[in-house]
Amino acid sequence: MRRLIQFEMRKLFSRRLAQASLALLLLLSLLLGVSTWRNMYAFDGKSREGTGAAAVEIDQAIAENYAGILTDEKVQQILSEFAPDPTLDLHGMNAAYLYQNALQSSVALRFSDMNGGWNGVGVSDVFGDEEIRVGYVYGWLSTSQNLAKLFLVLSLVLVILLAPVFGGEYGGVDNLILTSRYGRTKCAAAKLLAAMLSALLVTALLATANLALALVLYGADGLDCSILLAPVEFVEGYIPFNLTCGAMLAYQVLLAFTGAVSVAGLTLALSALCQSPLTALAASAALYLFPVLLPVPETSWVFRFVSLLPVYHAQFRSLMSVEQMANGWLHAVWAVPVSLALACAGALLARRAFAKHQVC
Amino acid sequence: MKLQTNHLTKQFGAKTAVDDLSLTLTTGVYGLLGANGAGKTTLMRLLCGLQTPSSGEITLNGQRIAALGENYRSLLGYLPQHFAYYPDFSALDFLLYLAALKGLRETTARKRARELLKAVGLSEQTNHKIKTFSGGMKQRLGIAQALLGAPRILILDEPTAGLDPKERVRFRNLISAFSKDRIVILSTHIVSDVEFIAEEILMMKAGQIVQAGNPQEITAEIDGNVWEFVVPTARAEEYAAAFNTSNLRNTGSNATVLRVIADRPPVQNAVRVRPNLEDLYLFYFKGGTDR
Repeated sequence: MRRLIQFEMRKLFSRRLAQASLALLLLLSLLLGVSTWRNMYAFDGKSREGTGAAAVEIDQAIAENYAGILTDEKVQQILSEFAPDPTLDLHGMNAAYLYQNALQSSVALRFSDMNGGWNGVGVSDVFGDEEIRVGYVYGWLSTSQNLAKLFLVLSLVLVILLAPVFGGEYGGVDNLILTSRYGRTKCAAAKLLAAMLSALLVTALLATANLALALVLYGADGLDCSILLAPVEFVEGYIPFNLTCGAMLAYQVLLAFTGAVSVAGLTLALSALCQSPLTALAASAALYLFPVLLPVPETSWVFRFVSLLPVYHAQFRSLMSVEQMANGWLHAVWAVPVSLALACAGALLARRAFAKHQVC
Repeated sequence: MKLQTNHLTKQFGAKTAVDDLSLTLTTGVYGLLGANGAGKTTLMRLLCGLQTPSSGEITLNGQRIAALGENYRSLLGYLPQHFAYYPDFSALDFLLYLAALKGLRETTARKRARELLKAVGLSEQTNHKIKTFSGGMKQRLGIAQALLGAPRILILDEPTAGLDPKERVRFRNLISAFSKDRIVILSTHIVSDVEFIAEEILMMKAGQIVQAGNPQEITAEIDGNVWEFVVPTARAEEYAAAFNTSNLRNTGSNATVLRVIADRPPVQNAVRVRPNLEDLYLFYFKGGTDR
């Protein structure tokens, strides 16, 4: 069985299209990671400003000054330290949206009035009883944003990689496979295992590469800090629960794996049923992306179910934003059984369709 | 070992490809002859379990092959008429992959694969990618894979297609050496491929076996019906069109010898000659295709 799985994996990764897709995915991942880092900007409120590594350094230094639990005192200090120059004409712009650095942006957005003064709101008014740990979260949140895009692309790469698993055999090798001793039994099982293993490996590779790159660019600081005190671009539609950056990334990576397994199940079934890799590819991609076209608002109860479909595993923010369960767990944990069910159903369907098909 | 078909029928819509066929095959080489569309490939696919019969059954030593499953397939070697390869695999890798599917141990598989590649004249291409192979080389690789695992039942559909004369002789010798105590069925419409190695010829027409027996027995059926006569070369085409002609041979002195199949002497000076399989084939499949 081990040899069969090795052969099947070799078949998967020896295809030019698969190799090109994987290379492009890694390249995109590198480009996104590096360009996000290079485009970061920070001003320390006094004299120093910079982009890229300098911006990260400035943001981390500021975050270190206010490290720990967010208090009303710290809010006042931050507002005071980064108050806009009173002589500066803002031309009607809301000072809460002025960006100087990550921490200033995060605090101003919630606690500043139009002129950059305190808006009278306390920490408990915004976050209730939640303890908000302050730190440098910008780098990791940006990484998470990039990962969301990459995991969506990853799903399509997996479709390209797996569509020929069964579909590619119908071109004439099926004659040989199905008349061999294990052609209808172990071969199909080896194909399924190799496909699942490949999907998990590629997902692990992508997640590891991006997290490693982020670790190099941003360090480990901020992983234990709350995602709720995030700069302006992470507020609209972001996850409304008090998770640490580390926990959020763990959920996101878990959902990437559940998404990969679900996509694998879907693609394998269509690969065996469509009997053509190209048709399987098109059908899998269409079915995968279809749920985002459904006119279901995130506030609807139907969305609780729609959000468990594979495309939302990659677009994890919507799934992670669904109301928590009564026991305090995130609704997103349902993605695990759903993905396992999809993978098993897909695998069973694929195995049956391949083993039973009549060669004409 | 006894492979039997009992009232085997396979229909594709209104078309009956195999029609109520009852056949018993024991060890030996069987040459399945028939025109295009006679049902040879369908019969072979049914014997391989690649298609399910519309009615009837196939048994091996009394047990239905569908019920035998893996146990039947472990006895089977099959070369389809049309098949595909993995272009980025080498010849050796391809055989090792199929050997793994056939349940051969890795060391045995490696040894056997190299032996077979040598036997089909591909030893120098062992590690070459299949995408660099010519049609004939691919066909030889197909023959090698069919022989992997020393199958007790070997089914070869048009095995000599694309082979040059030297390779065809090599193939015939290979099959002759291999066939002891095995059932070998090879289908072709090239009569000379089976004439020398088949112990029994099965003539298939319209999904049925219309004639079966060893080459001498079945050609006896048209004994007295094969004639040769000489005509002027200028009129050879005219004569050939008028009769069921199996051969024209130009003698070089403005004369052509025609070999025709007919119940009575086609011309006055015609000489009766001993029939061969090609004559018999023409007798049954005049016109080239069956349907």
